[in-house]
Amino acid sequence: MRSYELMVIHRYDMAEPDVRAAVEEVEKAITDRDGVVKDTDFWGKRRFAYDIEHMTEGYYSVIIFDGDVELQNVLDRSLALLDSVVRHKIIRKDA
Amino acid sequence: MAQRSNTSRRKRRPDTNPRKKRRIVYKFKEDEIVDYKDIALLRKFMSDRGKIRSRRVTGLTPRRQREIAIAIKNAREMALLPYTAQRRS
Repeated sequence: MRSYELMVIHRYDMAEPDVRAAVEEVEKAITDRDGVVKDTDFWGKRRFAYDIEHMTEGYYSVIIFDGDVELQNVLDRSLALLDSVVRHKIIRKDA
Repeated sequence: MAQRSNTSRRKRRPDTNPRKKRRIVYKFKEDEIVDYKDIALLRKFMSDRGKIRSRRVTGLTPRRQREIAIAIKNAREMALLPYTAQRRS
């Protein structure tokens, strides 16, 4: 098990409850694959430092979790395919 | 400031002049971890245009400079920090 930190940016045109639900879905995906969600921080809407695909803002959320490498790979792949996710990043907390 | 009598032709190396104060002072604690989300801290190591300040300017240790640079690049990817400053008004 490794310690990871995941940051996700969701599209600005979503309703906030939907974004929260989407984040919960990610949490569920982590626990389903034997990961442990340590902490979730929902930042809310935030302005980008530069435009991304003609968007100027997005919903930021940070999830700190423990999991295996496999889980990290799956998350990385599936988040990249989601249209509601503008960008995401997984950082290793230990090491 | 601090003119040296330049009898020799050697080019003055600015980074070796001890009298010139140029360091952005930030003291890291021993066990401190540089976080890419700490934008206020990372901004201290960037120019107004958004460029990463050189080691010579920041006066950081190699390890810290490396950590700061990586953190800034991570923050840029997540649009927390700019790659370049927006056009001036």
